[in-house]
Amino acid sequence: MTSADRRTWLIILGLAIALLLCIPLSQIIFHINYNHTLTVVALGGAALGILASVIGCFAVLRHESLLGDALSHAALPGVAIAFLIAGRQIVALLIGAAIASWLGTQFALAITRTTRIKQDTALGIVLTGWFAMGLALLSYIQSRADASQAGLDKFIFGQAAAMVQSDVEVIAIAALIAFVLLALFWKELKLITFDREFAQANGVRVRALDLLLSTLLVLTIVVGLQLAGVILMVGLLIAPAVAARQWTHQLGQMVVLAAVFGAFAGGSGAIISGLDVALPTGPLMIVMASMIVFFSLAFAPGRGLVWQKWQQWRTRLSLTQGQPIAAQPQSEM
Amino acid sequence: MYPLEHIILQFLQVFFSQDAINGVLGHPQTVAIMVGGLIALAGALPGTFLLLRGMSLTTDAISHTVLLGIVVAFIVLAALSGTTPDLSSPLLIMGAAGAGVVTVILTEMLYRSGLVRQDAALGLAFPLLFAISIILVSRYISNVHLDIDSVMIGEIGVAWTDTTSHCFAHCESVTITSDDARAVVKRECSNCVSENLYPRDARAVFENLCDNCRTYTPGEAWSRGYSTQKPELIFFPKSLTIMGVLTLVTVLFVTIFYKELKLATFDNGLAASLGLRPGALHYALMTLVSLVAVGAFNAVGSILVVAFFIIPAAAAYLLTDRLSRMLMIAPVIGILGAITGYDLSRGSVLGLFQMSDILKQLDGPLHLKGYTTWNVSISASMVIMLLILFIIAWVLSPRYGLIALAVRRWQQSRQFADILILGHISHHEGTPEAPEELNAATLYEHFHWSKRAMQWSLARLRALRLVQIEQEQVVLTERGREHLMNFRQEMGVR
Repeated sequence: MTSADRRTWLIILGLAIALLLCIPLSQIIFHINYNHTLTVVALGGAALGILASVIGCFAVLRHESLLGDALSHAALPGVAIAFLIAGRQIVALLIGAAIASWLGTQFALAITRTTRIKQDTALGIVLTGWFAMGLALLSYIQSRADASQAGLDKFIFGQAAAMVQSDVEVIAIAALIAFVLLALFWKELKLITFDREFAQANGVRVRALDLLLSTLLVLTIVVGLQLAGVILMVGLLIAPAVAARQWTHQLGQMVVLAAVFGAFAGGSGAIISGLDVALPTGPLMIVMASMIVFFSLAFAPGRGLVWQKWQQWRTRLSLTQGQPIAAQPQSEM
Repeated sequence: MYPLEHIILQFLQVFFSQDAINGVLGHPQTVAIMVGGLIALAGALPGTFLLLRGMSLTTDAISHTVLLGIVVAFIVLAALSGTTPDLSSPLLIMGAAGAGVVTVILTEMLYRSGLVRQDAALGLAFPLLFAISIILVSRYISNVHLDIDSVMIGEIGVAWTDTTSHCFAHCESVTITSDDARAVVKRECSNCVSENLYPRDARAVFENLCDNCRTYTPGEAWSRGYSTQKPELIFFPKSLTIMGVLTLVTVLFVTIFYKELKLATFDNGLAASLGLRPGALHYALMTLVSLVAVGAFNAVGSILVVAFFIIPAAAAYLLTDRLSRMLMIAPVIGILGAITGYDLSRGSVLGLFQMSDILKQLDGPLHLKGYTTWNVSISASMVIMLLILFIIAWVLSPRYGLIALAVRRWQQSRQFADILILGHISHHEGTPEAPEELNAATLYEHFHWSKRAMQWSLARLRALRLVQIEQEQVVLTERGREHLMNFRQEMGVR
């Protein structure tokens, strides 16, 4: 481990501790009462933040940030069909959502492999096409004289404040599965993320690992959908990963830091919404995550905009004051 | 918008009777298809350029953040005027389109900082703006009718109900005052509630309150029987006006700036060096996209409108290589989707089969409870038809279609096999091992092919008179030798 690595780990540790300190601080300053409901929602938000941001790191690094957007919209027809088959069973709805999103990925992949249409357009086709199928099915379900479908659309648009303990358990289990799989295939995933051709040449099963990553993405989205909603899930996937990217050049550090950021965004979003009933939880998580992103873009050491400006200023100073260049008349610094 | 509609209606009345016009404008199917077709036309033209610029998903981001613009404009207008603003007022549309442009600017700022990639910048910008708009909605206008679901989803099927009425004859607007004979006047105690008095109390003040005193539009006056003659009214759907104007603007923009757009799309650097200001053009295009997205959100919702930008353009991209043809084909596909989509929403799939028959088949496994009428969201059905049309183009396109691709691959593999065999023969003929290597019966072993595949290939080569079999040996004919020579020359092999 080099000294630069050690320094980054120290920064990460410091940030994690600082963010953990927010809990007692919030109790002292805002007098937040951590009752059972708030604890559950905050824990769930934090767990979802961790899961989404870790998976999001790979999506961002592989330039597939908007895959999450397409997949989360593509879940809708699956939810509707699962409802038609099995009724209001949460597990069935989740499985249906996962299958529909997964089919959407494969469809987009087939388009990009066989035509000259680019990935973003293919994702757009899947996003809108699948969503339209879902809406048509949903309006078919709603046109039946049957009250049991009430709130089915909430499944897609999300309701974080309605989180109960079993939801937190589902997120925790999903996160556990995802992390075990990531740990098992860590080396290979790292390789295909940064150098696909090299991985392929070395006999890594690239297609299978692609499938693993997109399956994990689908799992994350499906788990998070009913809590954060379609669009906000995209933010929760991307924002912490982008923020973490600014602080480090190492995948391991980036994933851990993204998890810290995700946990903070999810947890603090839930807690702030606890202060005021009219503030919805999901959007607040995104606003918190975006604030972390803007902070990181500005102040991250080495890459941040403020840091860059300072470096420029220092270089300029050393160039104007340094003898060799000042001695040359034609350089106007 | 009102004067414009009025002029159009006056013009139409030269040719058609009022009943005919009202029949068309009040017919749900016609209005839905017209609005859908206009959205398809206004979406497909900018969508084509967006696709070629690799910015398809920008429309998705714009259409989501348009909600923020609508919410902010709604709050500002409500604060200024003190009333609930009309969701189709031009001011609201302008404000909302502004938010779309802000999204693009924000994305580009993030992207230009060099710290974030383009896709991630988009994925950062629009969830944030969307989140802010949801917070604003639930914080400030939760009591007003601005349903997020309706903004997200929309329904084109009710476009014909939201109308402006235009009056052309007997336009008698009636004002009823309290001394009018038709006024319904009640005597009521005006300070009983505020001062907690009984009506019989001496301090109670009584006033004449009029129940129906106000000004009635000609239509209202007639329906309540206040006017003597039936006014000649024409009801004009608001979505039709909005989309009509936006479509006109789009078509004009694309025709006027066709050359500039083309150059900026394919060679941005050249466009800039020729002084065409591609940056300004870019933002003009984005403003246009935002305007169309806002104008369409009432009818099709902010997610489905993206389909009208992306899918027809993508289908056209598979069918042609010329920009001008793409700009023709994409709107046609879009409008076709709008027309057939309406039928689909009523249960007929391209006139080939009925959805209700399928639902009857599925009733058993899917617990449909015998409900087999397929009568669903029209806007969603239009998008499904667009998807189906895209798939048809994808499969059948003469140059880029799946079938064309499969045929091409098959031909290539056949040609490759032919050349391989010819090369093998020419390599071994006249050498000592020739009897063993060129034995027609065992040739397949040297290629590690199946016996059957070799038989097929040899049969074809013999039919083409490229090889012949002499004493169980395959031998090149003169034609075969020539064929091989040609191939070698093409490939640059001596």
